[in-house]
Amino acid sequence: MVEFIDVMKKYPNGTVALKGINLKINKGDFAFIVGTSGSGKSTLLKLLMKEETATEGEVIVNGYRLSSLQPKQVPYLRRGMGMVFQDFRLLPNKTVYENVAFAMEITECLPREIRRQVPMSLALVGLSRKANAYPHQLSGGEQQRVAIARSLVNNPALLIADEPTGNLDPENSWEIVKLLSEVNQRGTTVIVATHEKSIVDAMKKRVIAIDKGRIMRDQQKGLYGDEDTEFKIYS
Amino acid sequence: MKIRSLRYILKESFVNAYRNRLMSLASISIISAALILFGVFYLILINLNHNLDLLYDKPQMQVYCLPELTDEQVEAVKTEIANNEDIESYKEISKKEAFDQLKEYLEDEKKDLGGANILEGYDESMMFVSFTVKVKDPQNSNKVAKTLEALAGVDNVKYSQQTIDMILKVSNWVKIVSFVLIGLLLVISLFIIANTIKLTVFARRKEINIMKYIGATDWFIRWPFVFEGILIGLLGATIAFVLVAYIYSFAQPRLAEEFSGGLEMVQFGSEWGTLVLIYLGISAVIGASGSIMSIRKHLHV
Repeated sequence: MVEFIDVMKKYPNGTVALKGINLKINKGDFAFIVGTSGSGKSTLLKLLMKEETATEGEVIVNGYRLSSLQPKQVPYLRRGMGMVFQDFRLLPNKTVYENVAFAMEITECLPREIRRQVPMSLALVGLSRKANAYPHQLSGGEQQRVAIARSLVNNPALLIADEPTGNLDPENSWEIVKLLSEVNQRGTTVIVATHEKSIVDAMKKRVIAIDKGRIMRDQQKGLYGDEDTEFKIYS
Repeated sequence: MKIRSLRYILKESFVNAYRNRLMSLASISIISAALILFGVFYLILINLNHNLDLLYDKPQMQVYCLPELTDEQVEAVKTEIANNEDIESYKEISKKEAFDQLKEYLEDEKKDLGGANILEGYDESMMFVSFTVKVKDPQNSNKVAKTLEALAGVDNVKYSQQTIDMILKVSNWVKIVSFVLIGLLLVISLFIIANTIKLTVFARRKEINIMKYIGATDWFIRWPFVFEGILIGLLGATIAFVLVAYIYSFAQPRLAEEFSGGLEMVQFGSEWGTLVLIYLGISAVIGASGSIMSIRKHLHV
């Protein structure tokens, strides 16, 4: 599903954000990517979305080799993956329903498909009753669930969440993480970048720890950062 | 782009133009101004060309003899004209005929001249004999004119070539001036439209960003802005066309009267079609390129 082969990323200003990254995330996996800000975590996600291109090495997502991917192909790569952000990124002048439908409109789906898929997606995140509300009328947790519904509406094989609980209180954070876990159980590969220790520790999922541009630890059923007892698995 | 997206794209472009109406209006005005100017010059050129065609069609020449010429001398000139191979036909206008024509003309104008009979005390002896000559091939006008002018007793020769040359000169200047002015105005319009679209793009940059992440193609994102530019251009063109058509229909009969005898004004018919097409073409191209200019940099997400 996702593979990094000897990836190095150097920004034009000379900063080396990632170095010697080898990583494989299989279909159906659930993985946390943890690390402090500036660790290279965001760069890793940007490489996945082809917002940035690796300076060296190869990133393979959904069968696309990103180093040689034409700019024209990028939209089609992104249609195969859902994205959820810390700041939700909903359109304020559209209702919940319209926000979710928007993701299908821009990929030029049939209106019939839109009418079928959007309610299903909203039901999945438990917001069917709020379909006609506007984002500002919802709580942060609800807004993030709308964002998740939008990211899932095109049935992506991969869901990438960048600090999805960063703006939420613990209770709502839990709701979101549980939802992501459900999504994963339905077969979608989920990658979550976070620095929320409690959640990572409680979930007991794969943890990929990044520090100073390198993978420090890649652990199945891992914890956030128990440095003392940690054992390292380099993939 | 698929047809079902067209509705979305058109709706978005109208909404964008409306939300940004002040700048949209500014763009519409400037593009109208450019196109009105274009229309005015275009109509001037059309009229000049029309008159040129008319002149080409009547290869006539006026040969004026000196007033003091005796009848024999006039006869000699006449023989020369009659023997010239390039001349198809000719007609003599005697002193008397010329005097009668003048009298008739002054009779018509009497009112304007305060009712005075200016010709009192004069007779036809003050007039001169002239010939109206029709040249076989208008291309030879120049040569014939030179030959006739060289004849003894001929004062001067007037023929349409001189008018043609003058009109050509005028229309060349009109062309140069209009190219420069219209070019300048079109460039200004382009930048103002680009700026208008830039404001819309800026207002919607978050939306564009989201669209990029969800996997919208660049053209899907671009179309509403391109349509907004085209819409602005077309509105400007419509206003310009209505104004130019109105002004011309108002001015044409009045100018035609003013120039009667000299220049002829074109009655507009088929020419409007060409003008409409030019207007639509220019405005759409300016509108579209203005928007493409300003969205280019925002699409790199």
